[in-house]
Amino acid sequence: MVVGENEGRMRNMDSIIEVNNVVKTYKKRKTKEQIQAVNDVSFTVQRGEIVGLLGPNGAGKTTTIKMICGLLIPNEGSITINGIDTTTNRLDTLHHISAVLEGNRNLYWRLTVRENLEYFAGNRGQSVKEVKDDIDMLLKQFRLKDKEHELVNRLSRGMQQKLAIAVAMLADSEVILLDEPTLGLDIETGYEVRELLTEIAEKHNRTIIISTHDMDVVQALCERVIIINNGSVITDDPVKHLLKVFELKSYTLTLGSELDDSQIEKIKEAFPSYVYTADAYESLLEVDLEKSEHIYDLFDILKENHTIVEGIDRGTINFEQVFMKIVKGEEVHELGVSS
Amino acid sequence: MSWVSLLKANVRKEFIELKRYLPNTLATLFMFYIIFLGMFSGIQFIGDPSSQDMNTQYVIVNYLFWFLSMTVMNSIGFEVVNEAMRGTLEQLSMSPLGMWRIMLTRLVATTVIHFILIVGLLYASMLTAGQWLNLDLITILPILLLTLVSMFGVGFMIAGISMLLKQVQAFLQILQFLLVGLTFLPLSVAPFLAFFPFVKGVDLVREVMIHGMKLTEFGFMDYFILVVNAAVYFPLGLAIFLYCEKVAMQKGLLAHY
Repeated sequence: MVVGENEGRMRNMDSIIEVNNVVKTYKKRKTKEQIQAVNDVSFTVQRGEIVGLLGPNGAGKTTTIKMICGLLIPNEGSITINGIDTTTNRLDTLHHISAVLEGNRNLYWRLTVRENLEYFAGNRGQSVKEVKDDIDMLLKQFRLKDKEHELVNRLSRGMQQKLAIAVAMLADSEVILLDEPTLGLDIETGYEVRELLTEIAEKHNRTIIISTHDMDVVQALCERVIIINNGSVITDDPVKHLLKVFELKSYTLTLGSELDDSQIEKIKEAFPSYVYTADAYESLLEVDLEKSEHIYDLFDILKENHTIVEGIDRGTINFEQVFMKIVKGEEVHELGVSS
Repeated sequence: MSWVSLLKANVRKEFIELKRYLPNTLATLFMFYIIFLGMFSGIQFIGDPSSQDMNTQYVIVNYLFWFLSMTVMNSIGFEVVNEAMRGTLEQLSMSPLGMWRIMLTRLVATTVIHFILIVGLLYASMLTAGQWLNLDLITILPILLLTLVSMFGVGFMIAGISMLLKQVQAFLQILQFLLVGLTFLPLSVAPFLAFFPFVKGVDLVREVMIHGMKLTEFGFMDYFILVVNAAVYFPLGLAIFLYCEKVAMQKGLLAHY
């Protein structure tokens, strides 16, 4: 038994987090109906990797993150951090993890910035003296030095968010889990937090999992994304690869005339993720092609009404578009998982 | 070392919040003092004049223990509910030291800090009533420590239940009145209450403070009951807390927002 465990650890030296076939169901309080929040989710995260956990609201991202933190016990499956099982050796795994789960809600609003940092360090068994230099460094890095004696309830939301991240950083754990780190922030503060996270990732070499709706954060920070929908992983792929694949697949056609209803129906059937816009000035059709030869099928449909193709462009695509395409048309997920 | 840092952090937090919200603290103290004045006036105007002094002394000891039991046992429940609503409970349960250790140090911190307030209330009450109680610390402290251990056990039970039940506040309000009953009722009326978490302790402290009993004058059974209560309620409370924590993690109840 012990030998087996050791073998497991040796084999997975590079992966720091292993999520294996995890299932989580909840019972609705009133109706007692079983809700499957996470269904057979598996993935691994390598040491030093920055992974984005994406999905629409209610997809199961936060449940997954909380299970990794050991705050939720899975019904089935297992999660290990550094080879240690989060269910059977929960406290041991917590030495390796810190998290920002609800941003500014994770703080004591009646304590000052410094008092919060000292209190949370104390709760991990660190003395004020021990963490003094680290706190000073973090306050400087997070540009909170001039606010160190300010009560948290008097800080802006962005500053509270930065403090919550600083608290997680102070734990000096190998893994940091961030649930919606830029949620509810204005553009400027969101940008500042993003910059801060980039700095953390580059300078501190931590393993980071970010659950977010902010695709700018994903594109700027994450090396890999895991997209969850309806409790299941639908894509697990490097960001660059997804962008490349969708860029190759995405075509924009400038048409000489408007499409008629029958053409639109046929395009809808053959290319479900199409986008068609027509106005007095131009008629544009965006389609994703699984294989480049499928463009001939499209030409056949256009030929039916003698629609002239004035131009074809390979689409430039951002991650938000990739995400929408994946979530809207889940059938493409095989493309991601296979890599 | 980690225990010391944990305790220091929680005593410090408790002290900071008490100091920072001094008007609230003073208002609570004042409210308790007013309650004492009400009871004192009742004894003066309606009570039997022949037992007035004795009754006043009983009231002083009982109401201070009521304050202590509310602080130690009830406030931890309210604290857990508030932390679950605020979102900090999840952060506490992510401590590698375990949430129970944090809760234990919080119970100790709350007791230590509020003990200073209780001493203040005691002197204010004695001064008002003109009744001076026997403050034999050598006899009182061991009894009080053992009583506190069983109180902490109940504190753990309440904290655990508060994690699971969203509407626990109503129960906590009722508990305040149950605590009045348990602290004010003499053991001679209901001897079985000696096996309740802190009733025996209150009874022995009453004997010391009112009748001037010494540590050596109590019988074996008195100490036996105190020790048994401490040895049963603390582990039982801790076990219930750990069980409730596990259930909360299974059902996703660590955050109530």
